[in-house]
Amino acid sequence: MINPNQILTMVHIGLIYMVLAVPLTLSYKTTKIINFVHINFITYGAYMAVFLYSVIGLKNVFVAAVAAFLLGGMMAVIDNVFVFEPLRRRGANVVILMIASLGLWIFYKYFLYSVVDAASRVIKVNLVSQLIRFENFPSLYVGGYVVKGSLLMTILFSFLLMGLLYIILQKTAIGKAIRAISDNPGLAEISGIPRSKVLNFMWFLAGGIASIGGMLWITYAIATPEVGDTLILQIFAIAVIGGLNSLLWTSVGAFIIAAAETIGMALLNQYFGVPTSFKPFITFSTLLTVIIAFPPLGAGGGLPYRFIKKRRGEK
Amino acid sequence: MLQFDILGFLASWGTFLGIYAILSISLNLEVGFTGMANFGKVAFYAIGAYLGAIISTYTILAIHNISSPPYTTEGIIALGRYGGENPALTVGLFVLSLIIGFIVAGVVGYLLTYPTLRVGPAFLGITLLSFGELLRIFLQNYEPVGKTNGIAGIPHPFVWVANTALRDWLYVIVVLGILAIVYLYAQRVVNSPFGRVLKAIRDDETAALCMGKHVPRTKATVLFIGSGFAGVAGVLMAFYLSSVNPNMFVTTVTFNIWAMVILGGLANNKGAILGAGIVTFVDRILTFVTPNLGITAITPDYMRWMVVGLLIVLVLMFLPKGLIPEKPIDTPVWKAVRKLLKEEVNGE
Repeated sequence: MINPNQILTMVHIGLIYMVLAVPLTLSYKTTKIINFVHINFITYGAYMAVFLYSVIGLKNVFVAAVAAFLLGGMMAVIDNVFVFEPLRRRGANVVILMIASLGLWIFYKYFLYSVVDAASRVIKVNLVSQLIRFENFPSLYVGGYVVKGSLLMTILFSFLLMGLLYIILQKTAIGKAIRAISDNPGLAEISGIPRSKVLNFMWFLAGGIASIGGMLWITYAIATPEVGDTLILQIFAIAVIGGLNSLLWTSVGAFIIAAAETIGMALLNQYFGVPTSFKPFITFSTLLTVIIAFPPLGAGGGLPYRFIKKRRGEK
Repeated sequence: MLQFDILGFLASWGTFLGIYAILSISLNLEVGFTGMANFGKVAFYAIGAYLGAIISTYTILAIHNISSPPYTTEGIIALGRYGGENPALTVGLFVLSLIIGFIVAGVVGYLLTYPTLRVGPAFLGITLLSFGELLRIFLQNYEPVGKTNGIAGIPHPFVWVANTALRDWLYVIVVLGILAIVYLYAQRVVNSPFGRVLKAIRDDETAALCMGKHVPRTKATVLFIGSGFAGVAGVLMAFYLSSVNPNMFVTTVTFNIWAMVILGGLANNKGAILGAGIVTFVDRILTFVTPNLGITAITPDYMRWMVVGLLIVLVLMFLPKGLIPEKPIDTPVWKAVRKLLKEEVNGE
């Protein structure tokens, strides 16, 4: 049977997945770039917290969150200004932009590896696998069950960030400009929206939120320089559930994947004896199911099969 | 003092060049000519490598009635003892692995196109990337392929040749021979009417569809061929290194191949080989020289990957066509027209 601890875990990782995946959808929706650097935002956010916690000894989660937000945001803006904008101005297509972000991903990843390696050697603490427990949120005991401090922290931060994102996108002028660009970039520019400035702001927001997501993730799991890479499958599956288009469906997708990974896995393990190490298969099959069941109409892939079939049938 | 074994270096570089050039030519067919962003190349490479390992080791153990599997110490010792007994068997297993590797990797690639071709290039990239990660996790956790230890003791196809240097050179010749076949085949494909359909799909998919070309089937065919070649490259690598483990097939391997293709120039088979040559040369030089340098401040492996990442970005930004730019397709008509034009210019 499902026990309440699994439900708590599901809520916990579901909220973190939401914070991690929503910025990816936002940036794809606005710029049509599949941004693999997103994985680095997560890892760098996590390691900002690790450095503050283990090297400097700052154990305040709010300081770590602000630092992670600034670092991730700056990275995103730098990528946009120095790589994506010049490429776009030259008329590069979606595939080229995707490859460029891939090159940046691998560069950032191994840059972090060498920094962590050097820092570990200097301070003689193994930073490659770190467990972080901030002291701001103590654990609660409710009716015999432990509600972890990191869960409370995740609830606070995810609601704060998603609320902030909602207010910015729906109520402010710059949020409306972001939505206008994602709907129709050409028309937005003609209407006098300063596109590059708005996009920089959007990247700052997306990178910052993903970084805080990374910081939240390592209060749940162990921090390694691979932390973002281990989450690729989940984040992309969630973004695909959202169609890389709808922020609301992305949030729903986060909980679908979280439920499949915790409750679904536990049930399969209990009734069919599936080993828990096969968890990624559930995520991948969810991704495939979504792609097969809801192909996005003509999203750069030509006409979907069913129209071709129909046309042939009429002949 | 630098100690440098030039012949050993050339043999090792030749093998790596051959294997990576096969991979980059097959990736070039998919991305350069057809415009399909395959970020899961490593998955098909891994399928080939593991198939080669499984077929060769399990067959030899079964023939000698040894029950210990090839990932245990007893199994590896037994493989070392019996592996070189029968030249016909080792060569036969090698050829069989190449054929099965091609077919199985190709079929997996073909099947994966069913869900992904109906959606855009972004989704295709994501799905194939996820598939690569998934396969690695599967290999790490599946008992018959040795979990994280992988499979060791794969018999070298020329293990019966007593001289080790000669053995390595024979293998280089085999690898470069297969590379030549793959190159000639790829040249033939891209210069055929089918190759023109591929370029049409890359440049404008809707237009190709409206001209009556079956876009999904064409893409699936290309992914079958490309994945099959990647499987062949995997088999070659498994027999060369004589062991496979899941850590050889991380996502970064895919980007290595991407860097080769982009450096050499998209939609150009010669460029793919040139890119593979440059990247593997630097890689091999580093492997041979690093132990003599004694650098410990920065791990050379991290430096190497950082260079690969920067290379991709810088080439895309400042040399978008690569070292060898794309050329028009060589058709008989185009040859005749070019000749006529030349005569006209000379005549004036």
